[in-house]
Parts: sequence; structure tokens; C-alpha cells
Amino acid sequence: MHDGSGLIAVQNLTKQFGSVTAVQNLSFTVSPGSVTGFLGPNGAGKTTTLRMLLGLVTPTSGTATINGRQFHQLGQPGRVVGAVLEAQGFHPRRTARNHLRVYAAAIGVPDTQADQVLSLVGLATAADRAVGGFSLGMKQRLAVATALLGDPQVLVLDEPANGLDPEGIAWLRTFLQSYARMGRTVLISSHLLAEVEQTVDQVVIISRGQTMYYGPLEHLRQQQQRRVLVQPSDVGALATALREGGVLTIEQLVDGRLAVSGVDSKHVADVALRAGVSVYGIQEEQVDLERIFFQLTSGQYAGQAPAPYQQQGGWA
Amino acid sequence: MGNLVQAELRKTTTTGLWWGLLIPTVLVALGGGLLSGLIGRAFVDLTSSADAEQLSEMLGVTPDQWKFSLFGIARSINLATVFPLIFGALAVSGEIGRRTITTTFLTAPSRMHTMLAKMLVYALWGAIYGLAIMGFVALGVVLTSSSGQLPDSGGWAMLTLVCVVSSILMTMFGIGLGALIPNTAGVVVLLTMYFVVIENAVLLGLRIAGTPETVVGFLPNGSVNGLTGSVVVDLFLSKAGVVPEEAITFLRMFAGAGGAQSWWLSGLIFLGWVAVAFGGGWALTARKDIT
Ligand SMILES: Nc1ncnc2c1ncn2[C@@H]1O[C@H](COP(=O)(O)OP(=O)(O)O)[C@@H](O)[C@H]1O
Ligand SMILES: [Mg+2]
Repeated sequence: MHDGSGLIAVQNLTKQFGSVTAVQNLSFTVSPGSVTGFLGPNGAGKTTTLRMLLGLVTPTSGTATINGRQFHQLGQPGRVVGAVLEAQGFHPRRTARNHLRVYAAAIGVPDTQADQVLSLVGLATAADRAVGGFSLGMKQRLAVATALLGDPQVLVLDEPANGLDPEGIAWLRTFLQSYARMGRTVLISSHLLAEVEQTVDQVVIISRGQTMYYGPLEHLRQQQQRRVLVQPSDVGALATALREGGVLTIEQLVDGRLAVSGVDSKHVADVALRAGVSVYGIQEEQVDLERIFFQLTSGQYAGQAPAPYQQQGGWA
Repeated sequence: MGNLVQAELRKTTTTGLWWGLLIPTVLVALGGGLLSGLIGRAFVDLTSSADAEQLSEMLGVTPDQWKFSLFGIARSINLATVFPLIFGALAVSGEIGRRTITTTFLTAPSRMHTMLAKMLVYALWGAIYGLAIMGFVALGVVLTSSSGQLPDSGGWAMLTLVCVVSSILMTMFGIGLGALIPNTAGVVVLLTMYFVVIENAVLLGLRIAGTPETVVGFLPNGSVNGLTGSVVVDLFLSKAGVVPEEAITFLRMFAGAGGAQSWWLSGLIFLGWVAVAFGGGWALTARKDIT
């Protein structure tokens, strides 16, 4: 039926909802053995992409495959891929255990599996409660339990951290990493890089339905540059001395400080000492990943800055 | 396929909907049955008066042999099968409304498998509702009728058959409509209004306008009612002696089968409607984007 490779392959995937292009010519692959983050701001097309992968939405063009097959060719999909999706519902009057037993029957796994996944996600004590009374976090745990019912080789999670408490997030993080380490495939979407930064090894970053970056998170980290922010007594003298020393990436900030890239603070301080410039303040700035993420994805629905407050006949 | 059938069966037994709808179903059936017996008895009393002697001479049977309560039985079945119709209507629309359809499709080999499993499980439920309806209508009639008014065992068997068939078909029709109109409140109101009010209003309009009623026998409610109504008219006539042609038209109206074809033809016509509704709902569900 399928090749059992655990590979997710998205090729030239496009989805048009009427006049809205939700996903545009998207391509990437996800390999087993690591957790891959699927990142992009709200409305970037993450949910639509994952739903196309799972056979819930028909692509306008392109293909999305799991184990080399499209979803409807998987045979027993519940045993190959488990998914936690946004807006995945529960019947409010069905108990957690009965909910799982319904889908255990559909997938063809024994009922005992329902109780096993319930304990795994920490819901064993709530097994016989109706889901209608569950908190958002409990529902999210139940969704994870449902995804795990068929012991699938591939796990797809759409913004699973939504509604989870910090403890739940920490649990999910550890769980997904160990799941991937068993040689399985984990794809997890988020609109916040920081949320998954500690969980993922690979990232696919999309914006406006298109791929912006796709590769190891480590490469992205290396791309980021450190800057040294320094407040010298004589800006011009320090800049000249640095340039003479071969440091060319120097910027003057609006607050009068210099931003120096490519060297560490010790080097800047040494140059200042030799040039006879006093240093009033020095600091290393860590350009965080979130900022790179923001730069990669900015533009879509860019919110406007509030208009400056203007007083009639102002005296400011 | 067996897995999905079990899953669908569990879906229906793990919420209270099946008995929540079964309670009004049996109440309507029982109430209808009781009323049928009472009205049948009143009719017999009326026609047994001296004035009716002439009539009974003409027909060759005495009025107390007339099984008037049969008409009420048909009417009660027709009304009570609106509940299995609603039960079916919630099968797909309920899953779309609560978004459980996502998990359902994620755990099934294909959407076709899901629809097929639902069809089998809901056919079973349709039969269960049908048997409950027949049982309680019969209980009501037996309690309030004199034994001369009741059908014989062959009659009961025939009534049970058409009641169960009509209940199953109504459930299937509901599934189709619920898939076509995936809004639980909307589809329930629409179907109830249609089967209880709208088509009867059309029928009334046709009668007033003097147009032939046969067209009604081809509409959904007209045909499904023809299934029960025509059986009841046949059963009545088989024990009523010689009945003039004009009277038969009235009897069919009493039975709720005005303008309807014979029972099996009515059944086939409604089966056609079921195929259209189910096929349409199936086609729509098969290609729909679940977002
Ligand atoms: N069913 C739909 N009909 C019309 N537009 C849709 C539909 N689903 C999603 N979209 C649009 O597609 C774009 C991508 O949405 P989505 O995939 O949900 O993004 P994300 O999950 O990254 O926030 C958005 O502009 C959204 O409004
Ligand atoms: Mg989303």
C-alpha cells in the first residue's frame, strides 16, 4: 500500500478558496527521526496545507503524500498517520473513553488501546466524564490521545500548544521529541517560533502560502549575527579605529551608540582602549530567532503603526 | 468495513440521542394508536344508528365489521416516522456541525466507506424505530378498539412490514438531506415542516383548485404515506363488502394516501426520492473541503 518510509512530501501544492489563494506552489519534505516545525504567521496557509496532506481539503494543484501515497490511498490511514487539528471536534455528551472507543473501532485497534492513550496523556481519571465539561487543555490532550490511538508512524499537529497549560506544553515537548527519536515523523505547526524553538530540529517557514525557509533550525541560528552595542566617548574615533582594524559592519544607532557586527564585545573594548576612547557602556545583543522569523514572514497583514498623536497648535 | 460499522454503531449508542428521540416517537405512536381506536369506535357507533341501516344493506356488511381504526393506524405511523427521519438527518449534519467529521474521515479508508457504514447502521436504527412505532401504535389501538375492528394476523404482518420499511426509508432520506444541508437546526426544521405541514398544504391547495391529486403520490411525503395508506385501504376494503368507487377516493384520503399509488409502487417512488437525497448528500460529502 505505502512504502513505510515515514516521509512527508509536499510538491507544488496550491489551494485556492474562491479568490483567496491560501497556499501557493508550496514544496517541502519532512523526514522521520526529527521534529519538524511548520511555521508561519496567522493566515499563512499552515492549516490548509496540513488538511490537504490529510485528505480533508482537495488541492487545486500539486500533491501531498505520506509514505509516498496520497491520504486516500493509505488503506488504514489511522495506523499510518495521527493528527491533532485545529477545530477538531468532540461530541459534548460522549465520554472521553467512549470517544476513543469509537475511533479505536474505526481504526481496528483493541479497546484497551483507548485506556492506554488516556493514561499516556494524563486523562485516565477523567475517562468517564463527558467531553463537554472538559477544559480547552483537556480537550487538546484528548485530541493528542486520539491521534495516538493507531500507534501511527507519522504525527501531524496543528498548533497543539493552543490551550495547553505550561505543564502540558512541557509534556508535549518531551513526548514529541522521544516520539521522533524512535524513528518516527513529527510535523508540528505554530505561528510562534519561540513556542516550538526548543522542540523542533527542522523548520519549514511559510508566509502568504509560500515557502520562505526550509532546513535545519541550526542553520537559521548560524545566520543570525550578534551585534555589539557600544557607547563610546568619541563615536567617530572608535569607528575609525574599528575600520582600520578591518571591522566594516558598523552602524550608528539613533541613540548615539554604535552597533558593531561580526566581533565580540571584548574585541571592541580592546580597540577602544588602544584608540584612547572611553567606553561608557557596552553590551552584546542577541538577535533572536524570533526576529529572523519576523523578517522572513513580515509583510502579510502588516498592522499599521498608530498614527502619531497630533495636537492642534501643539506646544510639544 | 466491519470496523467502521462498529464505530458508527458506537457513535449512536454513546450519546443519548437515540432514546431522546425514541421517547417522543413511542409517545406519538401510543397516543396515535389510542386515538385511532377511539375514533374508530365513535365511527362505528355513529354508523350503527338506524339511519345507516340502509347503507349497510347496500354494502352487504354491518358497520361493526368496518375496521375504521385502520385509518388512524396509518396516520399514526406516518406522523411517528418523522422522528427516525430526524434521527437520520443528524447523522452527517451533526458530525459536520460538531466537527467530529474531521476525526471520522481521518480514521476511515475513504469517505465512501464512512457513508456506507452510516447507511448500514442507520438502516438498523430505522428498523428499530419502525418496530417500536408499530408496537406502540398496536398497543394503543388494542387498548381502545373492540376486537372486531382489529386487523387479522396477516393484516398486522403487512402493517409491520410497511411501517418498518417506511421508517428505514425515512431514516435514509434524512441522512441524505442532512448531508446536503449540513446545518442541524436548519435541516430538522425544514424536514419536519415539509413532512408535517408543507406538502399537506400543497395537497389541500390542489384539492381546492380541483386539480388531480395524483401528483401528490409522486412527492416525498405523498409517496411514503402511500406506502402505509394504501395497505390500510386494501385491508379495509377486503372486509368491507362492496364499496362504491367514489367512496374509495374518500377512504384513501382518510388513510392519508390521497392521490397515492399502490403500496409497493409508492414505496418504489419514495425509494427513488431516497436515492436522490442520499446520492446527492453522498456526492457532496465525498468532495467537500473539511476546513
Ligand atoms: N474554507 C475557507 N474558505 C475561504 N478561505 C479560507 C478557508 N480556509 C482558509 N481560508 C483562507 O486561507 C488562508 C490560509 O488560512 P490557514 O490555512 O487557516 O492559515 P494558518 O493556519 O496558517 O493560520 C487565510 O487567508 C484564510 O482566510
Ligand atoms: Mg491555522
